[in-house]
Amino acid sequence: MSEADSRGRVMVVGGGITGITAAIEASEAGCDVILVERSAYLGGRVAQMHQYFPKLCPPVCGLEINLRRIRTSPRIRCLTLSEVVEVQASDGWHRVTVEQRPRFVNERCTACGACVAACPESRSDSFNYGMGTTRAIYLPTDLAWPFRHTIDPAACPGEQCGKCLPACAYGAIDLKMTAQRREFEVQSVIWATGWEPFDASVVDGLGLHSNMISNVQMERLAAPTGPTKGRILRPSDGKEIESVAFVQCAGSRDENHLKHCSSVCCMASLKQARYVRAQYPNADIYVYYIDLRSPGRQELFLAESQQDERLHLVKGKVAKVTEDGTSGDLIVAAEDVMAERSIRQKVSLVVLATGMVPALRNHSASPSSMLSRDPHGFLSNAQLLPGHFAAGCARQPMDVASCVRDATSAALKALQSCVSSHRG
Amino acid sequence: MTAIPTPAAVQPDRGFRNRLIASGGEDLKKCFQCATCSVVCELSTARQPFPRKEMLWAQWGLKDRLLADVDIWLCHHCNDCTSRCPRGARPGDVMAAVRREAILHYSAPQWLGNCVSQPHCLPFLLLLPCVLLGLVAWGSRPLEKLFAASTSSNRIIISYWSQLPQWLLIAFFATLVLLDAVVIILGVSRFWRDLNARGQAMGFADNREHEKQSIAASIRTTLRNILLHEDFDRCTFNHPRMNSHRFVLFGFVGLLVVDLWVLTVRFNPLLKDAFVYPFNFWSPWKILANLAGGAMLLGCSLMVRDRTVHSTPAGTLYEGTLFKGTLFKGTLFKGTWFDWMFLGLALATVLTGFGCEILHYARVDPLRYMVYVVHLATVFALIVLLPYSKFAHMIYRATAMVYAAHTGRQRQGGPSEFE
Repeated sequence: MSEADSRGRVMVVGGGITGITAAIEASEAGCDVILVERSAYLGGRVAQMHQYFPKLCPPVCGLEINLRRIRTSPRIRCLTLSEVVEVQASDGWHRVTVEQRPRFVNERCTACGACVAACPESRSDSFNYGMGTTRAIYLPTDLAWPFRHTIDPAACPGEQCGKCLPACAYGAIDLKMTAQRREFEVQSVIWATGWEPFDASVVDGLGLHSNMISNVQMERLAAPTGPTKGRILRPSDGKEIESVAFVQCAGSRDENHLKHCSSVCCMASLKQARYVRAQYPNADIYVYYIDLRSPGRQELFLAESQQDERLHLVKGKVAKVTEDGTSGDLIVAAEDVMAERSIRQKVSLVVLATGMVPALRNHSASPSSMLSRDPHGFLSNAQLLPGHFAAGCARQPMDVASCVRDATSAALKALQSCVSSHRG
Repeated sequence: MTAIPTPAAVQPDRGFRNRLIASGGEDLKKCFQCATCSVVCELSTARQPFPRKEMLWAQWGLKDRLLADVDIWLCHHCNDCTSRCPRGARPGDVMAAVRREAILHYSAPQWLGNCVSQPHCLPFLLLLPCVLLGLVAWGSRPLEKLFAASTSSNRIIISYWSQLPQWLLIAFFATLVLLDAVVIILGVSRFWRDLNARGQAMGFADNREHEKQSIAASIRTTLRNILLHEDFDRCTFNHPRMNSHRFVLFGFVGLLVVDLWVLTVRFNPLLKDAFVYPFNFWSPWKILANLAGGAMLLGCSLMVRDRTVHSTPAGTLYEGTLFKGTLFKGTLFKGTWFDWMFLGLALATVLTGFGCEILHYARVDPLRYMVYVVHLATVFALIVLLPYSKFAHMIYRATAMVYAAHTGRQRQGGPSEFE
């Protein structure tokens, strides 16, 4: 980093689309940026998406461009597997302590994959939301940055196994690696900690069924890099589907679960209906909703979707999902409000349109506990600490395009506070 | 696949809506028509399910539709809907508030119903029989003998308040019961006429013929349903309510049977010879009465508990407990004055009944007579209030259940609902 001509020092917490954008914007405006990401790769939820609405283009191209900007930037320092553990504020500067968990793989890794072949242990594939497994040593994503393997300490028995060590021709594996703490002095912190999908299995009446998946899982099923290589098949038996039901507001807008509307799930389900239609021209697709929310120009996408004669948009919330004997089919129960009749619809697959839980909501540990939140657990910019700014889905649920805009505005605010703390 | 119905002009009745809000439906405006309630209700119907549509009607104050709606009576207030409502709109309580309005609407004269259903009316209702009976007894006997017991030493049980002539009691209560009968017959016939009109508008005439029943068969189905508590048995969240209602109903029927039997004392040869009133403690009639009273006491106590602490098969729920992923907010069954008054009177009747029985054995004079007067007063209040209180649910609900069976109103979840 070039301290001399730096316009300030900014820390960005969260390496999803919001954090990446904020880091790039701040760095290209002349700030030195420390980008802290909890997982082993950059890209966050967006990297797990198949396509964006309404253009139905893959996130890969935008991510690739941004990752390249990060790679080539002399001002961005990127820390993966890292979390902020402490923030101390004084005189416009913040002393931030970051703890980095061990990756057990160093920079010599070429991601050749020889270690994966040697590894005997497996773990649930978190990138594919539990659909399938990986070895204990794995490449986080095909697009991973840093492009290095990583070891899941929860699955790896460590040195007592050590089968990966001789397999690596580059000496890149270090099972003795330990967690490290680093301290940084920054003038501004951007919180871009994003969201986690709501676990709808706690919703009474929905339960757990092998052929019931969440909308984020649907993205992985449709993605060419997903567990089925992009084919939308039933999880229970790998069969092709004849019909699918999208259950909107699965736990959302519900005072018993998530009180808020996540604002993107309606459009996401309409988009996923297109995924299904692209692979199954004759499938019946049902979307059960309370209200279909298509803000602004998304109205056009909705109107286009309504042209599909086998896409059935039904006003009425699904309150019960049961299994149909041993066929693996599911029966969703709802009231068709406009027709005033009760429905029991049998479908091959149920997709729960689950909402966004702010990732920091249940994070009570310091320093996130000092950040003020709204009643839903999202960070509230109005009362955040001086020099601290929330952006993207950490602040409120929003789509990717809004996240990018929000990141830019947070970067501008961070710049302003760098300038003012210089003066001070 | 869904045909959007043609918009119809409606006349919102804000006054009616505000009455619902004031009598237990205060959360009705929170409803956003997601229809979770209609799905989770085990008693709801395949066509025009409830209570989602009633919530909409209530928000608009569509009085005519609600009062003649058969579905408000198919609801048994088990509150499965309330427990799952994402907005806390408490559809179960709104349905109860609508039923109150229906009772007060159909039981003529309305001014009397509106009057006796008010809290401030209850003391007068309780005092009135005391005064009336007292005056009559005073006029017919010297005052000093009024509380004197006429003991017959060779019997364990002595004659009840022999100073108060039994013919007087019978005549007094028989008149009241006759008046009730007139009110009920008028109310039910008006209700039936309105049910038919609404049923036509809702398209019940189009229901499948083979699912319809004759009136006689519908009455049989309904009686069976009531006796076996088949509908109550379908409730999930508040299933224990079935047992409390069962105790109260069977206790009530038992006491009614004993009472009717006792009323025949003057001309019943069986009573004259073998069973002399009051009954011996081990008389089958006395045993039946005590058992029935006990059942009613137990049932009423369980109902009080249900309104104060909510228990489920999973255990007792207190405010803030998480039950099946749902945060429990206060008691699930929120009693209103209308609800508490009926329960309270029933409980007071059975408690004073047992009270005078015990005091009678203990020969506590003159307390036993005083408790007896209170007992008579609560019975009087119950009988007067029969058409105008929650007591009337047995009439209107039974009528609605007969109508539902008659018109082939089918439960949801049947095979016909699959595409």
